[in-house]
Amino acid sequence: MKNKGMSEIVQGIARTVFPFIVLYGISLVLYGHITPGGGFAGGVILTGGFVLLLLAFGKEYTFMIFPVKIAKVLDSTGAFGFLAVALLGFAGGFFFYNLLPKGHIFHLWSAGTIIVSNIMIGLKVASALFIAIATLSMSRLLYTKEGIKYKKSMEEEEE
Amino acid sequence: MNHLIILPVAIYLGAAFLISLLWRKDDKLAGAAAVSFVFLSAVISIISGIDVFTNGKMLYFAGGWEKPLGIVLMLDPLSSIFLIMTNVIAFFIMLYSTVYMKKYTWAPYFYTLFMIMLAGMNGILISMDIFNIYVFFEIASIASFILVAFGLKAEELEASMKYTVMSFIASTMILFAIALIYGFTGTLNIPAFMSEAAGLSPVHLWFLAGLLLSGFALKTALVPFHSWLPDAHSMAPAPVSAILSGMFVKVVGLYVIIRITTNIFITLPQIRVLLLLFGVLSMLFGGLMAYGQQNIKRLYAYSTISQVGYCAIGLGIGGYLGCLGVLMHFIAHAFSKSLLFLNIGAIEYMTGTTEANQLKGLNDRMPVTTLLGSTGMLGIAGVPPMGNFWSKLIIILAAIKAGYPGIAVLCIIVAVITLGYFLKLQRTVYYNRVENPVKKEAPKMLLFPMGVLTLLVFISGILLVPGIKEKTLDRAVSVMENFSYMDIKIGEKR
Amino acid sequence: MIVYILLALMFFVGLYGIIAKKNIIKIIVGINIVGYASNLLFILLGYKWDGIAPILTENMSITCFVEKAVDPLPQALVLTSIVIDLAFVAFLAALAIRLFEKYGTFDIDKIRRLKG
Repeated sequence: MKNKGMSEIVQGIARTVFPFIVLYGISLVLYGHITPGGGFAGGVILTGGFVLLLLAFGKEYTFMIFPVKIAKVLDSTGAFGFLAVALLGFAGGFFFYNLLPKGHIFHLWSAGTIIVSNIMIGLKVASALFIAIATLSMSRLLYTKEGIKYKKSMEEEEE
Repeated sequence: MNHLIILPVAIYLGAAFLISLLWRKDDKLAGAAAVSFVFLSAVISIISGIDVFTNGKMLYFAGGWEKPLGIVLMLDPLSSIFLIMTNVIAFFIMLYSTVYMKKYTWAPYFYTLFMIMLAGMNGILISMDIFNIYVFFEIASIASFILVAFGLKAEELEASMKYTVMSFIASTMILFAIALIYGFTGTLNIPAFMSEAAGLSPVHLWFLAGLLLSGFALKTALVPFHSWLPDAHSMAPAPVSAILSGMFVKVVGLYVIIRITTNIFITLPQIRVLLLLFGVLSMLFGGLMAYGQQNIKRLYAYSTISQVGYCAIGLGIGGYLGCLGVLMHFIAHAFSKSLLFLNIGAIEYMTGTTEANQLKGLNDRMPVTTLLGSTGMLGIAGVPPMGNFWSKLIIILAAIKAGYPGIAVLCIIVAVITLGYFLKLQRTVYYNRVENPVKKEAPKMLLFPMGVLTLLVFISGILLVPGIKEKTLDRAVSVMENFSYMDIKIGEKR
Repeated sequence: MIVYILLALMFFVGLYGIIAKKNIIKIIVGINIVGYASNLLFILLGYKWDGIAPILTENMSITCFVEKAVDPLPQALVLTSIVIDLAFVAFLAALAIRLFEKYGTFDIDKIRRLKG
């Protein structure tokens, strides 16, 4: 895997920094009802971590760690879970009603269904943006010395 | 019973992600699931429509939060007509597309995107905040951009690119108008804004009117803003063209313009003159450009521009007759234009081309398709027992009564022009003679939705019979004329 | 006051990018800039002089919060608008790549097969 992707220094730093980016993204998602952040911002930061891996290591390695098939399943599960949380509100009388117990203010489990919604949205945004960027990276253009050429099959990539 | 308002949107969103989760590889199960979900929503919308027409408007507070704090959803007779039409036409188009989509790869993703577009369209019809309308409008628009480019041929991608960039400018103008509405009055609720709008100076109201009208007129394809429509509607797959031309242009464009001019800009009578101008230009332009087209779908797209011009004229005239004409024309044109696009899709499925100079003698080869298509063409041109004739007559009478005889004469001229190009099309494509015709009829699942839509085109004039008209159309027209009922007090339940 | 003039300038720079440039990638960059301008207008409407961010912390009373905090409603609406613009740009970028595969160029004068 040495000749795909960028140089040694970039790969070393990417390997070190990646867990911290994922941790930061998860913290933004989980504390979305107390501090600024929430589902969408946390999801975008999570995608940023995976894009760093994609740029530093090349696409075969990244798709080995996080295949596109799993991303598609997580995507639909996140959206469907959000709708299930909204439909559960019917048990309280209205659509989207906040029916889980609300504890003390400023603690983690304090705002009812908001935290579950945030987790579902974070999953969905991270997977959806990852699929979008993975699709853009699978384009079939080839940069040769004569200019830009359209790659006809998978074997030409070896050249 | 009020919970039925929110159910169609929830069902469509759930169906979209369920199909993408479970049946991603399986065409038949995805198609069956899509058809059953659309059928469920159509039944729910008919039930809630019957409730609204007998008991008055329905309110719903999402999440239990009352009026100043939360999002209020409302269904009144005007939105109920649009809701029933959207879901019923979508059901027939879904039946058609289970067979038609065999020519395309990735059919389950087509069903997912179609469900998201239907969720967006239903959401516009039930919301009462202007920002809620904007969010659902964007959901439906983005789904429709992807659906137009679904076949991934070169021309389809180019058409989708033009449509996307032009529609983005419209969205930006609408967002600017929403920002200015919030800055001037501090509220985003439509009835609350209406009561505050009396205190604004005319300069502010004119600026808002300009931004909002130019944004929504681009989605309605009125004439200075029409240039995306012939490319986008002619290059999309046939069921997508049918729902775009039949319902999307009217739900996303015409319905919101009706809400804005009759509820927000009621103090500016010059808006109606502007709508009259756009309507007359659209009618003439659409009718004249349709003569030179070789691609049949492009001809139908120009015909859509022309007929939406009729609706804009009816809205610009106002009064009882004008509003009745708009509603009736919307209903009749939705049925007949969807029928025509499904028809050309069936012809393309069997023969592989949509150019008028390559298709000959279809009456000998596909008799049932020809019969249904000819009825649809006569329907749009306005031949007496079908609904379009009555609606054009009502609009012409409204123009004469309001003191615009020139516009009435133009309407009659454009009706004759419409009949002209449709008869020419029938003569060259359907009723030619060709030697040794090979008789190969379209599959039955493609013919059944077209047959039901033809029947609905025939009997849509029944809505104007005096007993039925009081119960259905008159209530919707009174919504368009009396706007003062829209103010909802705190604590009101119904 | 000068903030609004600069905002209008940014909007017109983006609009120049959409209307007058011929490369599709430059049109997409123009779309991004126009999106930033309209979101920024929305947030600026809720600003109060010497206001604090609308986050409730431990020892703040509700009346003090209501008097001093900047209006939080436009911030929620702008979050939705940012997501919508992201969807537009993602779709346009994928469309631009596919257009390059079919037509061989990014120039919109040459991508013109539909006429009439």
